[in-house]
Amino acid sequence: MVALVLLAIPLAGWSYLKEVERVLRAGQEHSVIATSRAVATALHDRPKLLDLRARTEEAADEGAMPLPGGVRPVAPDSRAASEEILLIVQGLGRSSGRIWVVDRKLNLLAIAGGLKRIEPAPQPESAWDRFVTAPLRPFLERVLARPTEDFDDALPEAAIAGGRDVASALDGVPASRWRHTPDGRAAIVSAAHPIWHGEQVIGAVVVEETANAIQSLSSDALERLVTVTLVAFLIGGLTLLLFASRMSGRLRRLRDEAEAAIDSQGRIRRLITGTRAHDEIGDLSRSFSTALERIAQYNAHLESLASRLSHELRTPIAVVRSSLDNLRMQLPPDEARVYLDRANDGLARLTTLLTRMSEATRLEQTVREAERERFDAHAVAAGCVAGYATVYPAERFEFVAPDVPVEIDGSPDLFAQMLDKLAANAADFSVPGAPIRVALGRRGSEAVLTMTNSGPPLAPEIAGRLFETMVSARKDAGAEPHLGLGLYIVRLIAEFHRGTAHAANLPDGTGVVVTVVFPLAGA
Amino acid sequence: MPKRIAIVEDDPSIRANYADVLKRHGYEVSAYANRREAMAAFATRLPDLAILDIGLADEIDGGFALCRELRAMSATLPIIFLTARDSDFDTVSGLRLGADDYLTKDMSLPHLLARISALFRRADLAREAPQTEDLLDRGNLALDMKRFAVTWGGQPVDLTLTEFWIVHSLARHPGHVKSRDQLMSDAHIVVDDSTITSHVKRIRRKFAATDPAFDSIDTLYGMGYRWKSA
Repeated sequence: MVALVLLAIPLAGWSYLKEVERVLRAGQEHSVIATSRAVATALHDRPKLLDLRARTEEAADEGAMPLPGGVRPVAPDSRAASEEILLIVQGLGRSSGRIWVVDRKLNLLAIAGGLKRIEPAPQPESAWDRFVTAPLRPFLERVLARPTEDFDDALPEAAIAGGRDVASALDGVPASRWRHTPDGRAAIVSAAHPIWHGEQVIGAVVVEETANAIQSLSSDALERLVTVTLVAFLIGGLTLLLFASRMSGRLRRLRDEAEAAIDSQGRIRRLITGTRAHDEIGDLSRSFSTALERIAQYNAHLESLASRLSHELRTPIAVVRSSLDNLRMQLPPDEARVYLDRANDGLARLTTLLTRMSEATRLEQTVREAERERFDAHAVAAGCVAGYATVYPAERFEFVAPDVPVEIDGSPDLFAQMLDKLAANAADFSVPGAPIRVALGRRGSEAVLTMTNSGPPLAPEIAGRLFETMVSARKDAGAEPHLGLGLYIVRLIAEFHRGTAHAANLPDGTGVVVTVVFPLAGA
Repeated sequence: MPKRIAIVEDDPSIRANYADVLKRHGYEVSAYANRREAMAAFATRLPDLAILDIGLADEIDGGFALCRELRAMSATLPIIFLTARDSDFDTVSGLRLGADDYLTKDMSLPHLLARISALFRRADLAREAPQTEDLLDRGNLALDMKRFAVTWGGQPVDLTLTEFWIVHSLARHPGHVKSRDQLMSDAHIVVDDSTITSHVKRIRRKFAATDPAFDSIDTLYGMGYRWKSA
């Protein structure tokens, strides 16, 4: 739509050209009028020529009828006079004009010159013509009407008799008019001027010219205007297209990077490489980078919060514990012992929390420094699941796995720790009596571990964030304190094994399955 | 003559609490808030045992520096780190500097007292000939229960008190699986599972330094550890 506004520019060019053409035509009209006046002036003082003609005409009128559709023949006895007029007229003749003289009775006394111009010799083609105009020519010719020299230049009776200009001239007023050739292919400007004899009009001079010279000038200009406009639009369009596709390409890349920067678990994978471009997209990309950097810092802050908290809390807890221990050693009275025991219970819970918090922190360090070895995850998982029978006597664990080794690169200790966390999580949510199913298998080049427990389904808003630090789906605070660090540890260990972890509800909504996928060793 | 214990700890409440309980148990205690005070006192007279915090007011690693200086003055003085810092990195650094034990501050006072008396016993008996009745013999492994000293194939293996108790807990009943919780209570510590894993890893490494073929400790994933019966 906005581009349509640009059309105003060639439109303005076109109307300007039309204006110039109009001015030129007016100029031509004036020059034709001037010519007719000049010819008439040359004939003013020669009433004899016209009188003679008039008389001869009268004589001829009595005898012969005018030839149909044509110019009245000049009577033979008036040839001498006629030739004299012709000489005068020819002397004033113009290359591309026609001059004729009529008497009061509209008899054609003399005619000279022609309307057709000699076609100008074709100019040598310039590079512009060859490469730009030539390919456009078929189109241009269809759109622009070029003047042609191929028109009917006959002088019809109607032009002589019916012309307003002639009639006006014979009334003593010079006049001009525009008309078309009978076949309509060219416009003709004609000017008539009376020939005076004293106070009496004895005839009229008519000068005609086609507007072809002006028209071809204007159509040349129009052609150039159209070509230049087309070429300009083409170049402009191409530039815009190039610019726009480059813009949208950069925007698309920015969008892709922005999408890839934060993964489904809300972690900052990779910062957008802040482009150095000095435009708005560069700015946008830079502010994206800054925002992402802040989020990453904030995430790092959150993740280190547990560690710093546990560290900061340890000293005051040590104060409380050593004080309580001191009190206890003073052999306090029995009633005081009750409160001492309660204080100790609270302290024990605090210590458990602290231990969990520092476990996650320590694991982050362990994962950074752990050595990798090739081990059979099947053997580790089988051992762990067998051990859970004693750790969770209330739960029933089932181990479902084909009896083939599942070799992965990593740390068997960490792998076992991950299973422990998964088992603890499953046991917390499991419906008592329903089995907790642990499955380990191979799928292509991957090992797939699943832990399925029956129980309440996950709320959709938390499903994607379960593996973040300090996020828990537990609704009731049980006897055991929970910090939402278990599945975070699972994620850390899964990532150490170059794997991924995710949780989903069972299709029938009766439980939850946590899936961890690792690449097999050597894959 | 009572044993002299030096406590270097920047928190006044903890310092006073530890000093109180140790005094009550018959030790002579001198407490210092920072490294300068402590060094000034140690220059005139060394204590019989030192309990050091790592972060000392403005010096984040003041305890490590103190340990290094103390160890330079005496090769046998028992040194215990008692700190809020529980990272593996700090533990390894502390033990490498020659500390006899590395404890976190959530250690209960009775546990701390047990360690202190064990360390004193070890220091006192170090120069006496071992008594056969105090030895636990398991093939290459020999544990001296009085001195808390370990040999493997006759070669001494330098274990901390915690590590000694873990090895003892495992080797007392070869072939029996010990869960991490059992190991914790036998070693008089309350820590998380991964700390036990780190301890076992360090124990294996120390034995392997003496004998590269050492593989007497089995890991049973999900259950615990086991000393292989020879």
